[in-house]
This record gives sequence, structure tokens and C-alpha cells, in this order.
Amino acid sequence: MTQQMLADKIGVTRQTVFAIEKDKYSPSLEVAFKISNVFEIPLEEVFTYD
Amino acid sequence: MGLSNKEKSLIISLIVTLLIFGWYFFGVFSNVTETSSGQLSFNNVIRVIILIAILKGIIAVFFQKKGEADLVDERDKLIDTKSYRNSYWALSVGVWFILVQLLFESTGIPFISDRFSLQHYIFSSPTYIAHLLLMFFVLSEVIHFSTQLYHYRRGI
Repeated sequence: MTQQMLADKIGVTRQTVFAIEKDKYSPSLEVAFKISNVFEIPLEEVFTYD
Repeated sequence: MGLSNKEKSLIISLIVTLLIFGWYFFGVFSNVTETSSGQLSFNNVIRVIILIAILKGIIAVFFQKKGEADLVDERDKLIDTKSYRNSYWALSVGVWFILVQLLFESTGIPFISDRFSLQHYIFSSPTYIAHLLLMFFVLSEVIHFSTQLYHYRRGI
């Protein structure tokens, strides 16, 4: 899945998806849940707290 | 990742603002006697503001044509909020500075220099104070653009 496809599915820009991947932005809970729903995996597998 | 269209648009807006208002304020503050006597009138300010508006319109149309969607997401809103918070401080410091100056003038206490000197005439003239206010407004705009750029590049 491309960054643009994920961005379209969760309603953010491609730059925001890139920023999340690079640890430059912590998304809101809403966006975090949307990402986990898209990949159909639990939230804690997508995000970890350092 | 290279610069996004939002970042490019911000950089151009920042450069345009700095160049045009820098040139304008250089003219205004390097010749304060003319400024306060009203010879450097507000027609010039109107011209500069119209020029800035036209250039920003051109920048917006250019980047829309390049295909960047107008989507504003939560990250954009958060960056916008943070940059407005920073620019608010610059603007309020400027407004407080001018308020204190006007307060001193109204009570008869000279704020910068002797009441009957040329400097007093210059620094308390309405045209000069209006230009000072405009300068703080432009400064807050510059801080707004710079903070946005910083957060888009370095993260938030």
C-alpha cells in the first residue's frame, strides 16, 4: 500500500503519513485507530510508546 | 523527502514578505523625518499590501495548478495553531510597546526623548506610530511563516 492510498483511506495528507512513519508527528487517537483498522491489526502493534 | 508544495508556498510567501516589507520599512525608517511629516503617506502602504495580496494569490493559484489537494488535516491545523500562538506574542509585545508609549505621551512624560525635541515630534507622530504597528504586524506574520516551516520540516 502506498502512502497516498493510506492517506486517502484515513483522511489525511500524504505528508502526514510520511511524518508519522518518520516519527515526526504523533497522530490523534482517531487517526491511530483508523490506521489500525486499515491494516486490521491491534493498535499496539502499529504504535509503540518509547 | 523533498519539499512539499505547502513548504514551497510558505518559503516563497516568507521571501516575498521579507523582501517587499523589508524594502518598504528600510525606506520608512531610514527617513523618519519624512515619514512623520506624512510625506511618505499611507498610499505607499496600500500599494505594498495590494502587491503582497496579488503575489500571494499568484502563489496560491500556481501551487493549486501543480495538483496539491486543498486537504487540511489535523497536523496542518496543529502546526497552524502553534505558529499563530508564537506570532501572537510578537504582535502583543508590539502593541504593548506602542500602548505604553502612547500612555506616557498622554500623561506628559516623555517616553523616548525631551517633549520639545525633534525626536519627540517624530516618534510621537501618528504616521510613525502607525508604521511601527504595521512593522510589528509584519514581524508576527514572519514568525507565523517561520514557525510553520520549522514544524513542517522538523516535526511536531
